[in-house]
Amino acid sequence: MASINTPAVVMDNGTGMTKLGFAGNDAPSWVFPTAIATRASGSSAKPSAPAKPSFLNTPNVAGSSGSTGGSFGTSPSPALSSIKRDMADLDFYIGDEALEAAKGPGYSLHYPVRHGQIDNWDQMERFWETSIFKYLKCEPEDHYFLLTEPPLNPPENRENTAEIMFESFNCAGLYIAVQAVLALAASWTSSKVTDRTLTGTVIDSGDGVTHVIPVAEGYVIGSAIKNIPLAGRDITSFIQTMLRERGEADSSLKTAEEIKQKFCYVCPDIVKEFAKYDNNSEMFAKYIIDTVSGRKITVDVGYERFLAPEIFFNPEIASSDFLTPLPEIVDGVIQASPIDVRKNLYKNIVLSGGSTMFKDFGRRLQRDLKGIVNERVSRSERLSGAKSSGVQVQVISHKRQKNAVWFGGSLLAQTSEFKSYCHTKQDYEEYGPNIVRNFSLFNVPR
Amino acid sequence: MPAYHSTFLAEDSNSRNVGNLAILPIKTKFKGPSLPSMSEYDIIDEVLDLFRANTFFKNFEIKGPADRTLIYGILYVSQCLNQLNLTTPRQEAVRILTNLSLDNFAIPGEIGFPLNSLYQPPRDKNEAIFLRQYLAQFRQELASRLIGTLYGGDPSKPSKYWLAFSRKKFMNKSL
Ligand SMILES: Nc1ncnc2c1ncn2[C@@H]1O[C@H](COP(=O)(O)OP(=O)(O)OP(=O)(O)O)[C@@H](O)[C@H]1O
Ligand SMILES: [Mg+2]
Repeated sequence: MASINTPAVVMDNGTGMTKLGFAGNDAPSWVFPTAIATRASGSSAKPSAPAKPSFLNTPNVAGSSGSTGGSFGTSPSPALSSIKRDMADLDFYIGDEALEAAKGPGYSLHYPVRHGQIDNWDQMERFWETSIFKYLKCEPEDHYFLLTEPPLNPPENRENTAEIMFESFNCAGLYIAVQAVLALAASWTSSKVTDRTLTGTVIDSGDGVTHVIPVAEGYVIGSAIKNIPLAGRDITSFIQTMLRERGEADSSLKTAEEIKQKFCYVCPDIVKEFAKYDNNSEMFAKYIIDTVSGRKITVDVGYERFLAPEIFFNPEIASSDFLTPLPEIVDGVIQASPIDVRKNLYKNIVLSGGSTMFKDFGRRLQRDLKGIVNERVSRSERLSGAKSSGVQVQVISHKRQKNAVWFGGSLLAQTSEFKSYCHTKQDYEEYGPNIVRNFSLFNVPR
Repeated sequence: MPAYHSTFLAEDSNSRNVGNLAILPIKTKFKGPSLPSMSEYDIIDEVLDLFRANTFFKNFEIKGPADRTLIYGILYVSQCLNQLNLTTPRQEAVRILTNLSLDNFAIPGEIGFPLNSLYQPPRDKNEAIFLRQYLAQFRQELASRLIGTLYGGDPSKPSKYWLAFSRKKFMNKSL
């Protein structure tokens, strides 16, 4: 049984990165790619077919791994095929080791989370298994677990998760939290946030998608959510293209990724920014790669420093089919939300995820959004002749923004009430998997 | 913030047009019919300022005759960049781009001018002659200032940052 003292485990399995650690900490203890490398089946080494994006799947029931029995399952799995699978089970890697293994022959690389949703349960179970036993090195029956999910996650996915957590791993208790709600909680660390509310607009930009999610008192306003098909990996590939077009000595994805994290920032105006580079050659940077042979490769870094993150504000520079700037999307999302919460949604716009980390991202978003809102206010003032009291637009950046979802989970799961909001292994056995369709909301600790 | 428009749109009412293209004054020593620019900042400066930003855009809503002058300039810069490579020295570039500026080029209304759906032809033969002379002057001045920009400190090779823009096509068009 979980002792009072064991901290809860907090796992945020993102499309790109998994954040893993114990409640009460300021940062996850491990951050690694949500990737798994498995032995390519048989000698044929046929390339694995890419999994279908999860939104194309009907609710995943057949693929639920509880039915095949994980290697740590309590129920014995008598079928020969699953014993065989257990053997194959040992031969896989996760995280950075998976990327490494997949470089050689014999392994194929999979990303079990797609567009934020778990897409391959079998791989996900093995990924969790390794996360728990090899990284966290803990006994799941001694810990409560807080897992995260994207907005609008189908309830079947929660059931599948519970099945694995309780049946395969014997977790003491489970809470599944909506990522956006955790991101709001994480923003309470900002000095700009005076009242700890769970009302606000979350901009969560990770690797594959950017979500704009309005939340009112802890509930996601599902009908108003918008997803933008531009996020971290698009920015990286934009940088890569620029490096290639310039014929730089190295234009690998890895280099593009490093340049993105080290050198990119959001500017107020691209024409003025070009002029800065013309007038001051120190705006150009150099990225130096030390190769194994001891040779140094120098990659020049130029306009991509500000052009790459500009794709949020001017998607047309990178995409031909998605053209709406992020500030306009945010405005649209808030306008599509119930009128009585709009004011608070404009006032508390919270950033979350790795791709919101660019310097001055929040500043530019706030300025552009203010522009849109002020325009609307003065238009309606002209029409009605009445003076408006104005709308406060505030974008919150804070220190824990990068792993805000994980950090919000850590905050909530360390409270003394946390366990009372979880479903326990006994609850699960008594009422069955569908109890996890609902979790009660946290009371906001003050 | 979509593609940038010409700031000379504000002067459209006083400017001379041929068809719907503004004949804006330029600061230049090259011979031609352009009026001397009264202001420090002319359309050539503007083309060079906006070129890098605007080449990323496929969509551009033309707001007036000065925007057409801007488009022509931006597309001409692209054409110039496409004549050079990373090792072209300055003297060679001067020769190549002088030729390009003066070589026969199509003007609005002629077959071979790629933007005829957006530009009206000159009204008559005199206007056509005038337009060709203006554009030749415009192209020479633009090419000359472009070379200044490309070879800033080093006459042996052009800026790779600028040359990288040769693959971009503003409005998906090229001259
Ligand atoms: N300092 C940084 N500056 C810019 N981008 C960064 C920075 N740090 C991380 N990133 C990018 O953030 C992305 C990962 O963010 P995050 O961990 O929030 O995504 P995720 O949770 O895996 O994905 P999702 O939330 O879409 O499921 C990667 O694209 C990474 O390149
Ligand atoms: Mg995430």
